[in-house]
Amino acid sequence: MSASGDTLDCGHSLAELSEYLDTGRIGNPEHLAQCPECQSGLASLRRLSALGHDLLDADVTEAGSGSDDWMQAILGNLRLELRPGRSIPVRGDDPEDLLSETEGAVSALIESIADGLPGTAAGKCRLQGDVTEPGAPITVGVEIAVVFGHPLEERAAALRRELAETLARDTELNVTAIDVTITDVLEARQTPQEKP
Amino acid sequence: MTEHVVPNELAAELQQIITAVDGVTAVYPAQPLWQSIAGAAVSAVTGEAAPTVAVAASGDSLAVKARIGVGGPRPAPEVARAVAGAIRQHLSPRRCAVEVVVVQIGG
Repeated sequence: MSASGDTLDCGHSLAELSEYLDTGRIGNPEHLAQCPECQSGLASLRRLSALGHDLLDADVTEAGSGSDDWMQAILGNLRLELRPGRSIPVRGDDPEDLLSETEGAVSALIESIADGLPGTAAGKCRLQGDVTEPGAPITVGVEIAVVFGHPLEERAAALRRELAETLARDTELNVTAIDVTITDVLEARQTPQEKP
Repeated sequence: MTEHVVPNELAAELQQIITAVDGVTAVYPAQPLWQSIAGAAVSAVTGEAAPTVAVAASGDSLAVKARIGVGGPRPAPEVARAVAGAIRQHLSPRRCAVEVVVVQIGG
């Protein structure tokens, strides 16, 4: 990947790609599928993000001992500030109230539900549509991996049902569709065997 | 318009009020991270908890901002409205603008 500053040769910036990873939105999405520069940039950003979360998890674990509660609180808060995403409005009882949920909170909720189903692991999650506009139609896109041997269609249907119920309860989003994509079938973990 | 930060006591009171609302699992610092770090470091030295709720006075009205985590059977939007209502009730009869951000749901 050759780049000048944070702008790739194709004209897209790393900031735009990062926003795409956060929100799933970019001006010309069809370009991403054809541009090796962008694909390389996205792969790097994903690795960086995964590394950042791994390091943060390690730091939070490390801070969880002794008198370092204050450090643990900071790191826990940092995790929430890393990817707040867009602001999803919540209706208030008073016109002067400004109530909202972060997109990051809703995405984490979706991922926790997907992870909670037996034999599934959550992948990427996207809220497509203008979540900042009350009542705007929203499509939820979630990718999951399923452990081999678990019924794929049944898992997808169960996840769709559970997500519909939870999002209706915990958000005021107008969810018009839930797209579940099974991106991987995982091999069940084998019992370690002694090598000869 | 002159704006000034009100004493920590009121912010600490509001933090207790918010924490007591059914469904609230955590109250996170409303200020930017660098201020949270500075506040937490001071707290670690002095032993006094830094208030996490931001309260600013402007003229005769107050602006309150809280970032919360929610969980349990109560729907998250209902918890956010209950938090705003509890803040408003505690500050009554003063005028106030309340901002509540839900940054964590469940878990």
